[in-house]
This record gives sequence, C-alpha cells and structure tokens, in this order.
Amino acid sequence: MPNTNNAGLAVKRVRIWYGLMILVLVIFSVRLFYVQVIEHGHYQAAALSDQLKQYQIPATRGIIEADDDGADVPIVLNQQLYTLYADPTLIKSANQTAAKVASIIGGQASTYAAQMQTKDTRYVILAKQLSATQQAKLLALKYPGLGTQAQDYRVYPQGDLASQVLGFVDNDGAGEYGIEQALNKQLAGTPGQVKAVTDVNGVPLAATKGNIETSPTNGDNIVTTLNLPIQAQMEQILAKDYQSTKSQGLSAIIMDPNTGQIKAMANYPTYDPSNYQSVTNPSLFQNAAVTNAIEPGSTMKIMTTAAALNQGVIQPNTTFYDPAHWVVDGFNITDIEEDGGPREQSIASILNLSLNTGATWMLMQMGGGQINTKARDAWYDYMTKHFRLGQPTGIEQGYEAVSPVTPPQDNGAGIDLTYANMSFGQAVQMTALQEAAADASIINGGTYYQPTLVNQIIKADGQTTTNQPKVVEKNVVSSKVSQDMIPLMEYVVQQHLLSGFSYMNFPSNYMVGGKTGTAQIAQPGGGYYSDKYNGTYVGFVGGDKPQYLIVVFNIEPGVPGYAGTYGGQPVFADLAHMLINNSYVTPKTSP
Amino acid sequence: MTYSSSLALNRSRFQVRNQNSVRFRTPARRLGPISNTITLIVLACLLGLLYLTQVTKTNAYGYQINSLQQQQASLTSQHDNLEVDSARLQSLSRVQGSAVAKNLVPVAPSGTVQN
Repeated sequence: MPNTNNAGLAVKRVRIWYGLMILVLVIFSVRLFYVQVIEHGHYQAAALSDQLKQYQIPATRGIIEADDDGADVPIVLNQQLYTLYADPTLIKSANQTAAKVASIIGGQASTYAAQMQTKDTRYVILAKQLSATQQAKLLALKYPGLGTQAQDYRVYPQGDLASQVLGFVDNDGAGEYGIEQALNKQLAGTPGQVKAVTDVNGVPLAATKGNIETSPTNGDNIVTTLNLPIQAQMEQILAKDYQSTKSQGLSAIIMDPNTGQIKAMANYPTYDPSNYQSVTNPSLFQNAAVTNAIEPGSTMKIMTTAAALNQGVIQPNTTFYDPAHWVVDGFNITDIEEDGGPREQSIASILNLSLNTGATWMLMQMGGGQINTKARDAWYDYMTKHFRLGQPTGIEQGYEAVSPVTPPQDNGAGIDLTYANMSFGQAVQMTALQEAAADASIINGGTYYQPTLVNQIIKADGQTTTNQPKVVEKNVVSSKVSQDMIPLMEYVVQQHLLSGFSYMNFPSNYMVGGKTGTAQIAQPGGGYYSDKYNGTYVGFVGGDKPQYLIVVFNIEPGVPGYAGTYGGQPVFADLAHMLINNSYVTPKTSP
Repeated sequence: MTYSSSLALNRSRFQVRNQNSVRFRTPARRLGPISNTITLIVLACLLGLLYLTQVTKTNAYGYQINSLQQQQASLTSQHDNLEVDSARLQSLSRVQGSAVAKNLVPVAPSGTVQN
C-alpha cells in the first residue's frame, strides 16, 4: 500500500510540473504572439531604422569639350579634391600640427594654429581643394583631430577660357550660368540609389531580401561648337582692345552663318570659374553677349536695307535725294556733319556714311513714301518674324535676355518717331547674339539658323548624337537680296579703308564686309545720355561666300570719335585678321 | 528414379510439416520521446547551422562587392586626376608659355597682310 501512495504522489507532482510548464509555455506563446503579430509593425520599423540604410550614389557630371582643329579637347573636367578640417577639441599641439600642415599644403602656420584653437566648435575647415597627394600626406601624419573629406569639383584645364559661356557648378552641384545652367539636367545625369540592410560597418548584407541598388546614370558629355584656338585668340584680342578702346565692357561673337554654330563667344572683363566664390561683381558671371540687350545703333541698317530690298521698295542701285533731315512727330532726324548735308545718295552710301535719314527714307518706302501704318506694320513684321527680334534664340545659355519690340499700333507717344529710330538702331534692343543670328540670315542666302553652342552630345553609354543645323525660318530674305547685301557691306569696308583706316586692309582673295554702329545710351528715366555711346560692329569674312560672321558690342568705349568706328571697328578688324592669318578662312577660288 | 529413392523423396516432402518448431516474433525497435526530441533538436540545429553558413558566406560577398566598389572609385579618381593633368599639360596657355614656344619665330606676315 505505501508503494501505491508514493506512486500516486509522484504522478501528482509530475502533473503539477507539467501544468506549470504548460502555463509558462502559454504565457510565452501569448507574449510572442503579441510581439510578433500584433506589434509586428512597430518592432519591424524599430529594427529597420537601425539596420536599413538609404543613400544616393551621385552620378558623375558630364564633361565639356571644345574643338581643336578636328580633335575634341576637354575644357571642363571633374576631379575629386579634398577639404581639410580640424576638430579643435582633439588637437593636442596646435602649433606643431599647424606647422606640419603648412609644410604640406602651404599657407600660414599661424593662421592654421589659430583656427585649430577655435573654441566652442568641433569642425573648422582649414583648406579646400587639396590634391590626392596632399591628402595622403596629411593622413599619414595621423595627427588626432585632423580629417579630410572628399568632394567633387569642376576643373578647367584651359584656365578662364570661355568661362562666361561655360558657367560653373555651385556647392550644391547645380549648374549656374552659361552651358552649365542651360544643360544642367543633361550634364548632371541621374543619381543611383542604395536601400539595403547593412551591418555595423554600413556594408549592405547581400543575403537580405528586398535590398535595392540602382546604378547612377552619368551625365552626358557635351562637345561644344567652340573652336579652341579661335576662342583663345579672340579672348586675347578682347583683353587688348578693352584696354586700347578704354571700354567699359567688350563682347564679341564669331559665328558660322551657314549653320548657326558659334565658333567663339567671349566678353571682357571675365572671371576664373575655378575660383568663382571670390568674384565680387556678380555681373561678371553673365555672358553679356547673350544676356545684355542694348540698342545696336547703325548696324541695324543692315536689317533695314535687307527688309526694304526684300519688299522690292528699293533696289541696290537706287538713288534718292537726301534732305539731310526729316521731321517726324515734331522731332528732327539728322545725319552727322561729316555726311555732307543735302544731296543725292545711294543705298551703298546709306550704309557707308551711316545715314539716319537714309534709313528713315527706306522705312518711308515701306509705307509708299511716308511713315504710316503700312510702313510700321511691314517693318514690325520684318523685325519680329523675319529677323526674330524680341524673342530668345534658344541658345544653350542661361539668362538669355529678351527685349520686346514696340508694336506698330499708334500709342499716342510718337510711334512714327519710334519706328524711324528703330530703322537706324535706336528704340529697339537686342543682344549681340540676336543680332548675329538675324544678320547671318541676311548674308547666308536667307535662312535663319538657331544659334547653337552644342555640336555633339555623348551619352554615358557612348551613344553620340550630332546636332544638325536647325532651320528656324526660311526665306528671311530672298537669296537675291542676300547676294545684293554682301557687296553693299563689302563696299563699306573698302570705303573705310580709303578713309584712312589702314587696318581695314584685307587681302583681295578674301571677302570682308561690315557695318559700324554708334548708339546713344538710354537713360533709366527716359531719354538718352548726350555723352554716352555704345560702339557696335557687324561684319563677315569669307572667300567665295561669307564663312564667319563677327559681331562686336563695345560698351561705352572711351576713345575719341564715333564709338562704332573707333570702338567697334578695330575689334572687328583684329578678329577678321586673326581668322585670315590663321588660315581659318578658305580664300576665293578665283580672286 | 528407383523405388527407394522415390520413397525418400516422398518423405522429404512432409519433413517440414512434421518438424516441431516454435516461431518467436521479433519486437519492433522504437525511439522513445526523449530520443525523438533530441533527434529533432539536433536536426533543427544542423539546419540552422547550414542556413547560417550560407547566409554568412553570401554576406561575405557583400564585403567583396564593397571592396571592389571602393577600388573602382579609387581608380576612377586616379583616372580623373591623370586626365586633368594631361589636359592641363596640353592647355593653350601652357603650350604658349613653354620654352619651345618662346623660341619659335612667327612666320605669318601679319604686318604685311594687315597693311
């Protein structure tokens, strides 16, 4: 019997323990269910916030190249440079550390030492844009409190060449001004993305499901239409002529009138894009040839003449009696004294002597002999639809200026006078580029090509797209009018040579034509300054046909004489000689 | 077949029937609950170990990938540096300022052409 009692007790104990274990298991199961199922989202988020890393892989920005007599040469590249920083709380001996740093990267050791002793901060930048070699030497020091950070920079192997055309990339990686701004999206590419569970070192765990890694698509490389040697020589000429003409600002464009391609475009003064942060005058960032619209003065007479010829209201050999002044809306329109007073004049003389009365007379011919609605409508149509003034050219540049053309409707504010002024380049504004594009269409047979700076776009995978000349407008003027305009402009150059401008002497196996412009500068409150002028020049150089169109805008040249003749013309001559002397122009096949 | 051999054969046919034999049934071997549990735990551990081995091995590739990516970035950086150096050495200003260029004699008769 005692055996039976003991066995029963043992069974009872086992059952109690069994019951307790079951109870514990039930509690665990309930808790596990609560944690794993009910609070699943909360704990998953908490775990992922610690383990899941998400960051962008930056795309490499496309480089920019220029043409160097058939070869593409980089003018903007990328380079990884380093920023040196210090944590003052960890620097042990500031003087000793600073001396060693200065021996590697240059600069004043005392300045570095002072920076290293800055209080209340743990991050002081000591130097930027250090090379990889310098960075390696600095890290080899193993000084506590010194560190480097890698950063991508744009570098300019040709220095400040074409800086205002190129623009720069700011600290946020965005293109500013010039091509960098206009083509920012293409140059920047698309960054990649990593979203992955990582280990403690931040290395993605390959075995984890759901890791996302998309590779970046690097930016497109841009091959510009700029001709490197022409661009470089033009910039040298502008720097020289800026001084010699005592200019306030000089812009020039060399364009292929038969394609719209810009071969060179520059302004002076300029800036160094690798050190853009130190520029104190932000207007230097602007490519004034594209962003600065001014009244061009008498170079506008090229358009007026072409418009009148194309309408058939004048012929190249037409003569007329010039009274030397017209009264329009109660104001006198006169010529300069050197033009010789009332007499018979020709179309060629209008251009050569730059007769304002002649330009006004041509406008009158558009209206059947007087400035009226018909004349204004016709001239407005030519300015805005044929020559596309008052609208952007669409060139790949940031901040292209647009200055609307006054509509022809009578506004009660002397619209006839305004239109008369427009016929000789006042009361209408345009950029050097807009004038270049319009005048190119006059000398190339009558086709308005969209001016462009982009020759090729090379994608990251090597796929190359070559830009074809884009025809914006055909029959701007007839091919006959275009052929008539060329000798008229050549006549101007020949006459200026005969007038004593020896530098306008060009070899006979080249065709060179042009037109000066001297424009009064408008005052902000209305009216014009009586003593401030801009000088402009539009000309071409070629052999059997015009091969280069040159436009010069000289802002307030300080030399005596007419701004166009003494501020614009010499710059044109220098550029034209440069093109001829360097054999960029194919001479006439039969001189 | 002889008569005697025929009798012997007939006898041998009934030999098994007349044997006095006892047949014992062999009991089936079965594991007890503890053995079963241990076996299952060991199997689970083996599977877990196998899984861990594979996961660790796969994750090690992550380090290899990371290392190769760093190597690629370093080489790209070196390539960029060399490209920049090359472009700088060929820049117009550097060529123009070189000793060779300074010793060149201009051949373009620019004075004659202009005048």
